[in-house]
Amino acid sequence: MEHLGEKLAALLAIAWLLPLLGFTIEVFGGYWGARNCKKAAYIAIGCIAAGFVCSSTALYLWGSETGWVALESASHGGHDEHSSATDDAHTAGDHGGHDHAATVVEHHHKQTVFSGCFYRLAKFGSLNLSLDWYIDSLTLTMFVMVTLIATCIHIFAVGYMHEELTDDYVDHQVHTHDGCHFHRPGRFYRFFSYLSLFCFAMLGLVLAGNIFQVFIFWELVGICSYLLIGFYVERHSASTAANKAFIVNRVGDFGFIIGLMILWTSFGTFSFADQHAADGKVQPGLFSMVRGSDGKLEATDGIVVLKTQQDEHGHWQVPPDSSQRKTIAYTLLIVAGLGVFCGCVGKSAQFPLQTWLPDAMEGPTPVSALVHSATMVAAGVYLAGRFYPMFTPEVLLTIAYIGCITAFVAATIAIVATDIKKVLAYSTISQLGYMMLALGVGGWGAGLFHLITHAFFKSLMFLCSGSVIAGCHHEQEMPKMGGLLRKMPITALTMLIGVVAIAGLAIPGTSIALSGYHSKDAILATALAYTKLNSVHFLLFLIPLLTAGITAFYMFRLWFYTFLGKPRDQHLHEHVHESPLVMTVPLLVLSVFAAGCAIGGEEGVLFRMLTHSQPGHVAQGFNGLAAQTVSLPSHDAIHKVHSTAGSAALLAAFCGMTIAYLVYGLGLVNPEEIKKQARAVHAFLANKWGFDDLYDTLFVKPAHVVAKFAAAFDKLVFDEILHTVVRFAVVISKWDRKFDEGVIDGFVNLVGNSTYSLGIGLRGVQTGRIRQYVTFIAVSVVTLFVLLFAFYPKG
Amino acid sequence: MSPEALMSWIIFTPTLFAFGLIFFDKKAEEPMRYWSLCGTAVTFLQTLLLACSFSPEDAGIQHMVKVPWIENWHINYQVGFDGISLPLVLLTSFVSLLSMMASWSIKKQVKGYLVLFLLLETGMLGVFLSLDFFLFYVFWEVMLLPMYFLIGIWGGPRREYAAIKFFLYTLAGSVLMLIAILMFYFGSAPEGQIGSFDLMQLTAMAEKGDVFSPGLQVAAFILLFIGFAIKVPCFPFHTWLPDAHVEAPTPISMILAGVLLKMGGYGIIRIAFPLCPYGAQYAAYVLVAIGVTSIIYGGFAALAQTDFKRLVAYSSVSHMGYVLLGIAVWKISESNGAAVGRDYWLMGMNGAVFQMLAHGISSPAMFFMVGVIYDRVHHRDINQFGGLSGLMPLYSGLAAGIFFAGLGLPGMCGFIGEVFVVLSAWNFSKTLAIVSASGVIITAGYILWCLQRVYLGPEYKGPHLDEIKANPLTTRETFIGATFLAFCIFFGVFPNYVFDMTGKSMEKLVQGLDTGYQNTQRLTGGVQTTQTTQKQN
Amino acid sequence: MEAVGPNPFLFVSAVLFVCGVVCMTTKRNGIGVLMGVELVLNGASLNFVTFSKFTPLGLDGQVFSLFVIVLAAAEAAVALAIALNFYNNHLTIDVDRGDELHG
Repeated sequence: MEHLGEKLAALLAIAWLLPLLGFTIEVFGGYWGARNCKKAAYIAIGCIAAGFVCSSTALYLWGSETGWVALESASHGGHDEHSSATDDAHTAGDHGGHDHAATVVEHHHKQTVFSGCFYRLAKFGSLNLSLDWYIDSLTLTMFVMVTLIATCIHIFAVGYMHEELTDDYVDHQVHTHDGCHFHRPGRFYRFFSYLSLFCFAMLGLVLAGNIFQVFIFWELVGICSYLLIGFYVERHSASTAANKAFIVNRVGDFGFIIGLMILWTSFGTFSFADQHAADGKVQPGLFSMVRGSDGKLEATDGIVVLKTQQDEHGHWQVPPDSSQRKTIAYTLLIVAGLGVFCGCVGKSAQFPLQTWLPDAMEGPTPVSALVHSATMVAAGVYLAGRFYPMFTPEVLLTIAYIGCITAFVAATIAIVATDIKKVLAYSTISQLGYMMLALGVGGWGAGLFHLITHAFFKSLMFLCSGSVIAGCHHEQEMPKMGGLLRKMPITALTMLIGVVAIAGLAIPGTSIALSGYHSKDAILATALAYTKLNSVHFLLFLIPLLTAGITAFYMFRLWFYTFLGKPRDQHLHEHVHESPLVMTVPLLVLSVFAAGCAIGGEEGVLFRMLTHSQPGHVAQGFNGLAAQTVSLPSHDAIHKVHSTAGSAALLAAFCGMTIAYLVYGLGLVNPEEIKKQARAVHAFLANKWGFDDLYDTLFVKPAHVVAKFAAAFDKLVFDEILHTVVRFAVVISKWDRKFDEGVIDGFVNLVGNSTYSLGIGLRGVQTGRIRQYVTFIAVSVVTLFVLLFAFYPKG
Repeated sequence: MSPEALMSWIIFTPTLFAFGLIFFDKKAEEPMRYWSLCGTAVTFLQTLLLACSFSPEDAGIQHMVKVPWIENWHINYQVGFDGISLPLVLLTSFVSLLSMMASWSIKKQVKGYLVLFLLLETGMLGVFLSLDFFLFYVFWEVMLLPMYFLIGIWGGPRREYAAIKFFLYTLAGSVLMLIAILMFYFGSAPEGQIGSFDLMQLTAMAEKGDVFSPGLQVAAFILLFIGFAIKVPCFPFHTWLPDAHVEAPTPISMILAGVLLKMGGYGIIRIAFPLCPYGAQYAAYVLVAIGVTSIIYGGFAALAQTDFKRLVAYSSVSHMGYVLLGIAVWKISESNGAAVGRDYWLMGMNGAVFQMLAHGISSPAMFFMVGVIYDRVHHRDINQFGGLSGLMPLYSGLAAGIFFAGLGLPGMCGFIGEVFVVLSAWNFSKTLAIVSASGVIITAGYILWCLQRVYLGPEYKGPHLDEIKANPLTTRETFIGATFLAFCIFFGVFPNYVFDMTGKSMEKLVQGLDTGYQNTQRLTGGVQTTQTTQKQN
Repeated sequence: MEAVGPNPFLFVSAVLFVCGVVCMTTKRNGIGVLMGVELVLNGASLNFVTFSKFTPLGLDGQVFSLFVIVLAAAEAAVALAIALNFYNNHLTIDVDRGDELHG
């Protein structure tokens, strides 16, 4: 089995590192190559497609070696991407009941989770940091999904970015100071090198075997996102949006780091899985320490004792010897969970950090499809799912509410947005909110299920919008479009598939539906079961249900607005054309997956594949600890309310669609009238609930004020202190000089001066006249004699 | 050549080459430059040779040389290296080499410049290699004077002010250090005998704990710390740095940021902590607080700057704050004075050394990038740039990469140091750890905003557009920038090479400090011990 | 005649000396000064001879006076040469005109 792990790791590592290789080649080759050369694109596509092949192979290998335990209770249903997988599943899929968790436990002897270490970053005493890998069915599914979607988007981008294949690209959105359009050389290769770098980072994030490594790639996808949003570096709006995206993400990462610090200090490891040391000892990973082998989290007096010792069955237990026990305060565990979730909030654009994602639409549309809908923004959800065992019920409740608020807020804004990409951006935020909600209410499988289906249909819709934008010569405003169905039939129809999928429509009474129905259905069912257990939190079902209706409304609004009706801008309409094959083929491929990837719903291949990695404690449902108010529903409970929730969701979706059809399809009501009627509401929504203004006044401006203050403080206080000291020293030295000059020098000079003046005085005697001298001599002698006689005592 | 002799060769090779410059004609500028470049290159190769003789398993000082110098006072010529000083020696010779390459932009009085530059290098290498406190002090001062002239003669418009400011600050620090040196010299001697300047002996005495009283340790630590903190520079003592950086010519800024600041950190690790473990622990909380303040304050101050070089200078203040933070996260148990979570402290210490190394690569690179554009447009007003990415794509690409390293992007050197230090801080103090973590937001803010204003946008807004167009990046500049960037990435991806080097020595150091503190406390009856005994009674 | 003691001689010698000094201090003519010097020397010589006669010094005083006479002759020769030179330089022998040594 270890052998299998090594093989899988090798395959996934190849898939992971190939884009990095591509990036390196593109960066160097692109710089020296010609501007109209498509080689960069071919290299990038080759790398990511090879990555897809590797990941699929790994998935197949994993499945066949483990006897497809993951799909044991799978019912019939084609999974286009690996039909052989389903074939195998059929043979093994006859026994086993509805209780998937039981299946997992039953087959525990067959190892399905593999982990290991690439290389060590650092070791300090007992602390060890390394680059690890952690492979389970979730990793594999994510790998296949990411590489597949990325391949499609890469191919699409060849068509979308072809305008860059020139030495003289004219950017119509940028004006130089003399009012001309901005001209620059095309940057085709650069776009693909960024895409490759992003794929590398994203796959690394999925493959990561410890939370620290997740953080590393978390930042790397962030910077790729920064580079891609700001791809049109000349546009001020683009570079501002890129900055905003990165800095808002960093706010989330601030929380993430706090979470990391707590984990690191309390647990001494970042590793998800248990680690096998060279001497045969096993170090417990994070999950084992918190949950042990039975998935139970126990706290006594607000202290959680970590399960750091293995019993003879290999189960992790609390060490009997209390001196060897490692503990963590339950509140600290909550804070750690919230911290890590804070990172997810930033990355997945959840309330209150959702503001960056709509702005991120400044990037080229393939970027929006890949980075800002399918993969990177879903990384937050992925991490929340991966890190699920560490979340306490309190954290999960927070996640649920955050997801719920996000879903609703974003959906309401999407109603009034007119930019086709902005609508999709808000819908992405909203759907991500759904996923978070699902995780929060205990629907681990449902949340990640929605992640995968959403990735397909949302990337499809973004690509369709890209096709529309390219067809309309970079016009993104829906009010200028209309009636494009005839002109762009493939785009319109594939878009319709996406819209139906996201709206969650199905043929009532059957389970014949597109992917979105199944996943959203699963989420709402979990939410309903949850609210039945915790009736205080009834909003967690009602709001998502309402949002489901709104979703259907604004998505159909988008479709009707764009593709039906009369052309509103005749000039534009005349020049519209269907996109070339290189763009439409990826649309078709993605639409197949958007329609069919979830076939079978919760009995289907995809769902089973995902839930195979589900943390053991989820399926049974569990009670909260500290608050004692939250309980999470078990699978059975969810299953009971499934049909109710499904019908409600379907009803809501149909309502939404009908309203949209009435307003925008048939034109029964003029939307302008409604806008006038509810002007205040409209303004509020169009202003995105005022979050941007709020953050601007609350954080950005104060930060600049503080910065100015700090800079001024340096100049006015520290430097001033220094200057004062120096000035004081100068004054002292002046006094010193005066003393020197006045007193000491004065004395010396006095001696010299008096000698001098004495000399000057005596000078007069020296007349040079000989007679005078003789006189002096005579007089002196006489005087001497007189004195001698006068004073010398006689005798 | 034996490693013992090699060390002295390393220290004095630059001096020899500086002597060689005497024989050049004053006008033969190019040959002199190549000669000096040879000097720095030879030094660099020698340090590489020295690194080859290093054995990472050996925690202590390796290949120590001890020759009496002034015997009456027990002053020795004593050099040697261990896992802590070796990376910094390598960094010094590496940064000197690249700065020498960047010195082609110096046109004034080339000969004098080169002589001073080489003397400066001798001083720096001497500081990192000497193990005698007196010798250390001598080299410390040797390095100070050339720096003063290099800023004061070849600097910008306000060079005299900056040079004097630099000199006064540093000299004040030196004086405090000198006092501390004498305190230890006389403190280490029994009545009527001669003391010691030998750092290793002093460290061993401090570890035994019965030689230096707590009072002496606290006082000496404060003196030493202020002396070194000025060099680092830490929050209240940092204002010389922006001025010195702004006025210094580009290569000297690179040396300043790359090497000189590291001396402060090195001094704290090599001297201040081991010699006064009690004092260090006594002040640990303040130290961490100062470190955190530097991080945040420097970041905010950088955000407000409009001078490109000043911004980078303040980013240095911010980044060096992590060094102090990492060094000082020494938490002790209230009951017996033993370190709590020593591995985290060890991690912080290692992270601090790594951060010094990382900053020693990324910060000179940033200064170089500023210098490149300054050489062309002769101004540094951030608001008057813009659009450089279109005009100088290669330069902008390199600069963006280097600034990302400064931003602490994973996969580049800045990340490892910062994150390791921050992670180790929670064990010490939760509040300060959270504050230090918030630094990531500010750092992203000022770096990205600066990148946006300088490199992005449609067109260049300032003067001398023609010079940018006429001089795209030269091969020499490309080489320097690319080398820096390559090392940024290398150390970001494989930090283990550095940690393998520092690991053992650091473990020994941390262990020594831990026992040193406990011994001091026990033998001299520290306050806490008496309390505990009372409790036990 | 036997009663004549040294005093008259000394008196004459003093008168000669004083005359000489007065002559030196009052005469502006260089030759006059020279004559004053001679008078002083003669007064001194007379003293020597007087004391030689009236005290037991013996011939010493007379020898000295002989020396003085020789010296005076030599001095007169030198002094006259000086006077001649002085005249060459100043076209006069007025000693007051020669004050080059004044301070």
